[in-house]
Amino acid sequence: MPANDFRIQPPRGARRSLTRMRQWLARDWQIYVLLVPAVAYFIIFHYLPMYGVQIAFRQYRFVDGITGSRFVGLKHFRDFFGTYYAGRLLSNTFLLNLYGLLWGFPIPVVLAILLNQLRRERFKKFTQTAIYVPHFISTAVIAGMLYLFLSPTSGIVNYMITALGGKPINFMLESSWFRTLFIASDIWQHAGWNTILYLAALTAIDPEIYEAATIDGASTRQKIFYIDIPYLVPIMVMVFILNTGGLLSSNTDKALLMQTSGNMATSDIIGVYVYTMGLQSGQFSYTAAIGLFVNLINFFMIISVNWIARRLGETSLF
Amino acid sequence: MTKNATAKQHIKQSRTDRLFSGLNMAFWVLVLALTLYPLWVILIASVSDPDAILAGRVLFWPENFSLIGYQAVFRHKELWNSYLNAIIYTLGGTLLSVSVTMMTAYALSRRFFGKKAVNFLFVFTMFFTGGLIPIFLNVRDLGLYNTRTILILINGVSVWNLMVARTFLQSTLPNELYEAAVIDGANHFSYFFRIVLPLSGTIIAVLSVYYGVAKWNDYFSALVFIRDRAKLPLQTVLREIIATLTTSTSSESFFSAYADDIKGMTDAMRQAAVAKYCTIVVSTGPAVLLYLFMQKYFVKGVMIGSLKG
Repeated sequence: MPANDFRIQPPRGARRSLTRMRQWLARDWQIYVLLVPAVAYFIIFHYLPMYGVQIAFRQYRFVDGITGSRFVGLKHFRDFFGTYYAGRLLSNTFLLNLYGLLWGFPIPVVLAILLNQLRRERFKKFTQTAIYVPHFISTAVIAGMLYLFLSPTSGIVNYMITALGGKPINFMLESSWFRTLFIASDIWQHAGWNTILYLAALTAIDPEIYEAATIDGASTRQKIFYIDIPYLVPIMVMVFILNTGGLLSSNTDKALLMQTSGNMATSDIIGVYVYTMGLQSGQFSYTAAIGLFVNLINFFMIISVNWIARRLGETSLF
Repeated sequence: MTKNATAKQHIKQSRTDRLFSGLNMAFWVLVLALTLYPLWVILIASVSDPDAILAGRVLFWPENFSLIGYQAVFRHKELWNSYLNAIIYTLGGTLLSVSVTMMTAYALSRRFFGKKAVNFLFVFTMFFTGGLIPIFLNVRDLGLYNTRTILILINGVSVWNLMVARTFLQSTLPNELYEAAVIDGANHFSYFFRIVLPLSGTIIAVLSVYYGVAKWNDYFSALVFIRDRAKLPLQTVLREIIATLTTSTSSESFFSAYADDIKGMTDAMRQAAVAKYCTIVVSTGPAVLLYLFMQKYFVKGVMIGSLKG
């Protein structure tokens, strides 16, 4: 036993844990008081709905309440997979997220590396400030900007297309354009902001490492590939794991705004379906079942990707 | 990097490296143009003549400067009512969220019995949720449907912000400070209020911008939880204006509802063409200005907080 261990040996058994409990309370009760609001918030607004998710297995009726409604087992899940929509909804949701990940994941890494290479400090500062700005614009406004800029009659994009001799395209009514527009506007809005994590890692690299590399005659390209990227990999793995947990989740508020009668074939995603069928048509149990199914898939996806990342010896989230 | 180091490196740069620097500069000028041009167009269109906008001629500079769009927006009662609502929800929600987040982050930065369990309680919600429908029914059963309270409470504590704040406190306030304060007779309350909070300006600014902007920009919560039009926040009303944009024929209805004759109708339709841009400026302005105003603390605070997130 180390010489500086002054801990008093506590009594044994049940009495011991009781005494220790009292010691903790006496010392730290104020900590618990500080935690009360947040714990209450999470129980009321996160864990109560998790308890309420059982309506997915019941036939919910307002008069019966959540626990009193009739138990119907997996009926709603079977109903959903029996509809024509199920396949389309799942593939639309999955593809939108997959393409979003394929484009949206690497771009911030590249931007961070290139921004870090800018040598003029004032230009760098200005650039950094400017590329964060779109992140602060609301989804409603982003959708509005898309409609305005892409309007077939007065939008500047079609103005340029016709000026170059092309035919105007009614972008927002074409299902073939929906994913491109959705993902491109997401990148415009968030790619700059998403560099923050990577930039923080790059600025934390000891400048002496770069100096040593310069003395050894390393070119910029070599510094990027042998210093920058290895430092970024752990964060990339983390961000990637977090993203895979969302491959079936829906950016409902944005899709709802961008959905038109013309682009339903690609814009109909699970979140929008749950919103319209559940809240507008009142099919609570049916849509709660769809939501639960998707959340479970996402949950297992993130757990398994995290497990794989840990097995491969890279960083893992937990 | 210091000035000296930059200068040294400049001398040693090879030709390919200089070429890379040049191309990199050009790339960033292009990125800046792509980022800022759409915002610039919105701004100049909002002060242009409607005919120029409808013809798609507003490209680089305001055409026939006019303020009739802003006049239409300022006369629109429902828009201003929703603006006021948004201010109430944003101020109330941000004050509450930041206070609770700071209290919780401080608690989590200390050692206490049951910390692991509390942490799990928070983090688990990042990976699993009840989903939209159970959340809606829960709010209704709590009697909070169609109340202003729910718009202040909903999304009250973000786990991500909580972690950023906790990491900030852990990395900026050394444990010795706490021990010294305890020797001087401080308890957790007095240490938190008299020492931690005054030293946490940066992270409080960051949290305020995060929570504030999220609240200000949220249209979906009100869509789900609010029925009375009088309680709707700005973004939800904005959504209706945008929803009218999808069908090009009846698109001007939102602003032209007040016109009572044919001439009034055409005038209102012309106004509506500009008013959309003005609405965007008026609704986006506060969030962007808040960010620009705070960005000094901002980048620094986010970086410290995210280093070990």
